[in-house]
Amino acid sequence: MENIILTSSPSTPYFPEVNFDIDKGVCEISGESYMEETYKFYLPLINWLKDYVKLIKKPLELNIKLIYLNTSSTKCVLDILEILKDFEDDSGQVKVNWYYDKSDPDMVDEVEDFEAESGIKIELKEF
Amino acid sequence: MTDIDMVEIINSKTILSYKGPFYIELISVFGTNIRNFNDIYSNARKKLFKIFIELSQNVSNYSENFHMVNNVQRIGVGELFLKEFDTAYSFTTINQVKKTDAAILAERCEIVNASDQLKLRELKREQRLNSPGEKFGARIGLIQAVMLSRNHLEYKVENINENFSYFSLTVKIDKY
Repeated sequence: MENIILTSSPSTPYFPEVNFDIDKGVCEISGESYMEETYKFYLPLINWLKDYVKLIKKPLELNIKLIYLNTSSTKCVLDILEILKDFEDDSGQVKVNWYYDKSDPDMVDEVEDFEAESGIKIELKEF
Repeated sequence: MTDIDMVEIINSKTILSYKGPFYIELISVFGTNIRNFNDIYSNARKKLFKIFIELSQNVSNYSENFHMVNNVQRIGVGELFLKEFDTAYSFTTINQVKKTDAAILAERCEIVNASDQLKLRELKREQRLNSPGEKFGARIGLIQAVMLSRNHLEYKVENINENFSYFSLTVKIDKY
């Protein structure tokens, strides 16, 4: 397994920045997410997490710092949260932090929905 | 139906109109401008940006009139209109759909319009959990538009021929 590092570019603001670090056990997704063919973008991240919980099994922290994500991206984020919930149910240590802009109350509702749908605890933190 | 009356329509200002393929690059530039074109009504513009992206991507993904890029990527063709009124913005998309899909879309709009915020949230969770994912996305764009705007969807279907129709969708976003 290798780390995943994807940097953002001003010309493609619809792709988020990604940093999945095996040694630190910390995964971060930040920026905005409304690309075409969303699943193609998220599939490597989903597969990385599946491998991590199967092979590495160390504590994992997920930090989401998305200012905006479209509804297709929310489906992929839910897939990620479900993997982490399964890991947690299997005695894995997981921490999920969701950073949000306090001037965007809609994001708080979104995070509550993610918690309800995935069953995993999400810590809300202001930017 | 939206609550915008004739006087308001006459006094409205067109912020953006476009007809053609809905490339992500264009959607992104338009969206960024919508979000940043002035400093007032910032909450309304945040909602407008989210609804703009969602409905524009519906056209891009599902329009039956489309361009093929490099024989691989399918980009939907349609129209959009963004207007500013005294108290609200109004965003409209128009695209070609199969007649059979127009009926399904109309039914979805009716269901969404008949639901309160609580029911919409329930529908959204249910739909997202049950969506097959991958190329189908979450299938909650219409629900999201109404949840964000707290206004009903206004839709129109105009027949083109025996197989296809134009589907027009308008969402009003209040400034206050």
